Parts: sequence; C-alpha cells; structure tokens
Amino acid sequence: MSMQREESLTTTGEVITNYTINFGPQHPAAHGVLRMVMELDGEVIERIDPHVGLLHRGTEKLIEQKTYLQALPYFDRLDYCSPLAMEHTWVLAIEKLLNLEVPERAQYLRVLFAELTRICNHLLNMGAHILDVGAFTPNLWIMDLREDCLNFFERASGARMHSAWFRPGGVHQDVPEKLLVDIGDWLDNRFFQLFEDAMSLVLDNRIFKQRNVDIAVVSREDAIAWGFSGPMIRAAGIPWDLRKSQPYDVYDRMEFDIPVGTNSDCYDRFMVRVKEVYESAKIIRQCLRDMPQGPIASSDSKVVPPKRGEMKQSMEALIHHFKLYTEGFHVPAGEVYVATESPKGEFGVYLVSDGTNKPYRCKIRPTAFSHLQAMDFMSKGHMLPDATAILGAIDVVFGECDR
Amino acid sequence: MAVVHSAPKFASNEGVIDAVAETISVWLIEATEAHGEVIFRVERDAIPRVLAILRDDHAYQQLMEIAGVDYPSRPERFEVVYMLQSLTKNHRVMVKCSASEDTPVPTVTTLWPNAGWLEREVFDMFGVTFAGNPDLRRILTDYGFEGHPFRKDFPMTGYTELRYSEEEKRVVYEPVVLPQEMRTFDFLSPWEGADYVLPGDEKSRGTPPVAEAKTTENTGQTGAGKAADKAAAKIVSPPPPIQKDTGKPAPGAPDPTSKEGGR
Repeated sequence: MSMQREESLTTTGEVITNYTINFGPQHPAAHGVLRMVMELDGEVIERIDPHVGLLHRGTEKLIEQKTYLQALPYFDRLDYCSPLAMEHTWVLAIEKLLNLEVPERAQYLRVLFAELTRICNHLLNMGAHILDVGAFTPNLWIMDLREDCLNFFERASGARMHSAWFRPGGVHQDVPEKLLVDIGDWLDNRFFQLFEDAMSLVLDNRIFKQRNVDIAVVSREDAIAWGFSGPMIRAAGIPWDLRKSQPYDVYDRMEFDIPVGTNSDCYDRFMVRVKEVYESAKIIRQCLRDMPQGPIASSDSKVVPPKRGEMKQSMEALIHHFKLYTEGFHVPAGEVYVATESPKGEFGVYLVSDGTNKPYRCKIRPTAFSHLQAMDFMSKGHMLPDATAILGAIDVVFGECDR
Repeated sequence: MAVVHSAPKFASNEGVIDAVAETISVWLIEATEAHGEVIFRVERDAIPRVLAILRDDHAYQQLMEIAGVDYPSRPERFEVVYMLQSLTKNHRVMVKCSASEDTPVPTVTTLWPNAGWLEREVFDMFGVTFAGNPDLRRILTDYGFEGHPFRKDFPMTGYTELRYSEEEKRVVYEPVVLPQEMRTFDFLSPWEGADYVLPGDEKSRGTPPVAEAKTTENTGQTGAGKAADKAAAKIVSPPPPIQKDTGKPAPGAPDPTSKEGGR
C-alpha cells in the first residue's frame, strides 16, 4: 500500500490530515485485481473509489467474432468460481431466440449441476470471507469439499473448471449413472458432516461476529435502488430469487425456500449463503429423485450436432456435423435479455442477433457491477479492516466484473 | 408461436404495452413485443422522464443494466438500452433510445444511483456521452486509453500493445504488430447468403465474360511449335555386351585382402 498525505486547514485553523491509500490492485483480500483508492480519516473510511477493469479482456467484443457455440467457453471464464451458472444464461438466451425445446432430462441435469455450482461457489466465497476476517482453518476444510465438487464436474464434462458442458438445446454428454449415485452419497454421508464442522467454527464465533455484525447495513430501499440482486438483496430482507419468481428449466418443479436476512449486514449476507447451500442440496436431491431417462439434447438436428455413431451411418448426420462445427447454426434476428440467478446474483445476457451465425452484440450484465458500486456508501464511516469484510460479503469475482 | 423454450418466465406481457404507452405516448416512437420481450423506443431527451414514469407509476423499481449497441449504418449510430425490472409485478421491460457521438443522452443517475457506473461503461465502450452524469470517467479500459473499443469500426486487435521493457525498466506501449494475419473466417455458405464471388469460382455463374470467342485462321497457328523429330526416337548405337561371370578376377583388379590383414 502506498500512502500520501493531504493537508488542509479548516475554518478554525485546525490541521486535518486525511490519508489517501491504495488498496490493491494486488491485495489478497481484494479477491482478484481490484484497486480501491481510499480516503481515510485516521482509520475511518471517508470515501472509496473502486477502480475496476484491470482484468478487462473484451469478452463481449470477442463473442461478436465467434459463432454461438464458439462463444460458449468464454462464459466459463467470466465468473470462474461458478462457470456452469454463466453458461446457463448463455444457452437459455440462445434457446429463447430460437424458441428451442430442451428435453426434460437435460433440464434436470442443468439444474442439478447449476446447484452443485452454487454450492461450489458459496464454499469458495465463504472460505475466502472467513479468511479475510482472520480465521484460517475453515477455509482449508471447505476447500476439501470444493475439491469434491470439481471432481464431479470433471466426471461429467472432462474438465474441472471450464466445463463447456451446457449446450444450446441441452447438455454435451449424458452423465454416468454412477456419478448421480455418488453425488447423492456425497450429500448424505460426507458433505454436511464436514460443512457443519467448518461452520461450527465460525457461526457463533465471537471474533467472526464482531467483524461482521452491523457492518455495511443497507436498507431495503437502498438495496432496490442500487440494483442489488442475489444474496445481497435477500440479506436486506427481500425474498427475491429469480429461480422462484422467474423460473427457468425445471426450477418451477423444485421445492425450496428462499433464506432472507433481517439485519442486512455482512453477517446476514454470509448466513444467507450458508442457508442457500442447504437449499441447493435440497434441489439436488429432488433432481436425483425425479430425473427421467431420455435424450440429453434437443432432437433439432439444425442446432444440436449428431451422435458419433449416427455419423458413421448417415450422410445427413455427417453433413450436419460438418456444418454445425464450421458455420454453426443461424439464430433468428431479434433481441432478448435473459437473466438467471447465478450464485452471486442476477447474471444477465442481452443478446442481439441479426439472423447470421454470429451474435451481433452480446452485453453481459455482471452481478458485481452494482454491488461494487455501492462499496462507497456501504463502507462510509466504517474502519479500514471492515472494508475487507464488506468486500468478502459482496462476493466479487473480477473475471465477471471486468469481462 | 407456442413458447417451448425453458428460458426464465416472468409475468405475462399482455396489456403492458397499452398501459405504459398511454402514459408515455408523447415521447413514444415505437413499442414492440418480440421473443417475449417488451421494448419501448422513445425520444432521447425524454429518457429520464420516461424512466421516472415507469419507476414511479408502473412499479419498475430496479434498473438492472444499460447496454450500448453500435449500428454504424444508421444516422444516429448508437442505441442505448435500459433494462428495467419490477419486483412487485415480476416483469421486465426494455427502454431504448438512439444517440450519436455528439448528441448526449440525459443521465438517469438522478433516478437510480447505480446508473453511474453503467453509463460510464457505455461511454467508455462506445463514446456515448451522458449529460449530467457527475463522474463520466472511463471505467473498464486502461488508464490513458484512447478510442472506444466496442464500436464496430474499432479493430479486434486494438492499436497498441504493451510489454515490459528490460532497457527502460518499465512497461512500454507500442503499436500492435501481428506476426500472422488475424484469422477471421466467413462461414456463411456461398450458396445461401454471401453476395461475393469466391476466388477461382468466377466461371460458375453463366458464360465467361468475353465479347467473342478466340479462333485461329488455320491449324498451323495454334502456337504449339514444330512437331517433334520422329528419327530421334530410333536407337543408333549397338547394345552393350552381355558380361559373363567366369570366376576369375577381372584384369587389373587389386588382389583380395590377405588373411594377415593389410596395413
């Protein structure tokens, strides 16, 4: 951190010295590359000016140069803590423009893995948040569980993080039956024991509470006006969850509760995430129970590539395969804004199509933009170390924020 | 068309256009509903008033996003799209206006505090200015960046690249040098869509573009040159003698290597 002094005289002649310090861009508690220019009065934060964009890669511009399918892996690299949730929005946006029906099994698989992603994301965020406010052990324990999640992703798609597994029209491949059994086993016999162990260290911990309770209280009105979403708006006591209110895939068949906070502080945001892990587990169990057999991708051969075996037999399938992997499919002209409940909040894609095989414009709505913008008013009057707790509770990932 | 996709379903769009259009009819240019999205195109200068009416009278409490789009062929090339969400009615609408480089859009930071960064981003990426935004700095691009990268005429590769210079001990900016041409493929199939002739494919459409066919007066004018001399193919020298192996060394051949070994 670099420091510089600003001195000024008040009307009464007193000398006030405010510090301006640079938090980041390489700070372990900045959760990536965030630079915050802080103006401090002693140790009290007067003003914060977050500088984002240090990880700006121009994803939206790159997507304009790719076909719809080629653009999919870019989404894994947005919020790299919850890659499948990012893909989910993209494929739904394409399907909405195409008005493409997705088979039931594919919808269940997507919901199952979106919820597993949510657990995975929350585990990482909670671990990092706890670490930011000074506790080391829970993060190490939680990482073990996150490793299990990544192994499940690997068994489904072949990749631990950047899966590229959701595809327009369904998913890329069916999962082995043993994987579904193992996920159920993991939830029943392993996950909650370890998770509750880790949480028991922090939830009633005096230091953890001192660092989080009554920090960055945001009123309901402010949460709405600042465009909050996800755990941030739920912690403010507003039961708003897109999975419930604007259901997609088979979320309308799932039974789950929306945890809300009462105090709208950092502790509530943390607790909302803890409770969401339990709700996600509920959804996963329902998916495992109700998932039907059947195809895992749409039968529309103009969008979904044929199976390998089919290609050996049918000339038609071979042509489709060639055309889909070179030219790609064409999407009807039009524009849609599709938003889903990513683990961090509302993640949206504004997709403009001109009827060709490439998107004309793809605007990605990052969850972190609205939340990080509120950093200034949330941390005004708090102490310098509280800034890390506030940042941890926002759950910001710069791959997604800067795009 | 029946809706079969499984994208997020919010409340019905029925009656929304009529109800909203009534209250903003003065500034409304066009209201459309397509792909399940309600879009109002309004006059640029009326944006704050229209959005205030939508927020206060129609309960669209949240501004989720402001997106810029570039259509270089239009007289006012940019479109600014506002995505609104109603928490109470569980509904979404889009409001859009057009703008050019030198026609600022009035800010909506007075209505929603989070519009500040969203407008900054549109300004940074497209160069659309927002009148009244108190802090219209660049947001995503580098400090000191020039140009607006998401315009369609901004090259994908950009204009400058940076590297750490060992001599100067700092990061230096240099013009982009591509060791290989940027790879862009046009996968649009030539039999539906592309309106240009592929190289080497000129003859595929109708007769070749010549006034009259080329002919020669007589057969000797083909330009083929003299005919080959047939006598050159005849064999004139005698064939080489067939050699027999007699078991004796050929005359003048060196002695075979002795068992003691030579020097």
